[in-house]
Amino acid sequence: MAEHHDQHSITYKTYLMTWLWLLVLTGLALGLGYANIDERLKAFLLVCTTLAKILVIAAVFMHLRYERINLILITFAPLILAVILFSFTFPETLGSATHLIRVR
Amino acid sequence: MDSTVAEQQRILASDWGGGKSPFGTSWSKFMMWIFIISDALTFAAFLITYGFMRGISPEWPKQTEVFNMVLITFMTFMLISSSAVMAMAVAAARASNPKLAVRFLALTIVGGLIFLGCQAFEWTHFIEEGATLTHNPWGVPQFAASFFVITGFHGFHVFSGVTILAIVALRAAMGKYSADGVENAGLYWHFVDVVWVFVFAFFYLL
Repeated sequence: MAEHHDQHSITYKTYLMTWLWLLVLTGLALGLGYANIDERLKAFLLVCTTLAKILVIAAVFMHLRYERINLILITFAPLILAVILFSFTFPETLGSATHLIRVR
Repeated sequence: MDSTVAEQQRILASDWGGGKSPFGTSWSKFMMWIFIISDALTFAAFLITYGFMRGISPEWPKQTEVFNMVLITFMTFMLISSSAVMAMAVAAARASNPKLAVRFLALTIVGGLIFLGCQAFEWTHFIEEGATLTHNPWGVPQFAASFFVITGFHGFHVFSGVTILAIVALRAAMGKYSADGVENAGLYWHFVDVVWVFVFAFFYLL
């Protein structure tokens, strides 16, 4: 029981540290939003900070790191499907799809 | 004979064995995960549509000039903080400390309500400046349309989350207390936070 209790007091501290890291990552993303850099590099770096944030939230706050591997893997399904959907639709914007939009 | 039984039990107990609880969670937690996964697909569709519309637009308004970024950052801070407090509520519930759990839950609800208040303020401001679903003073109509649809759908999730957390907190205060219930509500709340992380990065900052 004492061991169990210790585990929980460590957990509170872990949550606090996780919160601080999330704030640091948010600050980083905010800095990127204002940074005067190449749009593609900015998009890539924002994807990186976002992925880092969601992985931290899922692993620590949602306890995913303590779950079985099969549960962890199915939670990645939306992300993989989203990447597929994005890679099929976004190239269309480079072609002649601009007639779909009405400018004011 | 014994070795066959032992072998069967070993297979059933393995991650892919499909035993009584193949995912090693309670049914309610597993259902919550299934819901989160399907809901994540909905938001993925919204954000990908937004990306597509932005890609085909000749120009897109500079968000940092249109929106009050101090307010947006504060909203992000509130949601991340309430998520951290929610994780602590789950830990307190697991440690059989309902009083502490209720206190953490109340803080989480306050965080959610502040977020909703800020969003109501932001929407009011945006509408007063002339934004509608089909028109806005800054550029292509799709700009305000995606703002209303994405933040509106997310805001509705926050509202649902606050409602669920209020019910869970009330039940915990009444002694109808289950650590699983608190954890499932917490999973949903963290998911709402995860969605906001995407919205913050791709809608407001990119």
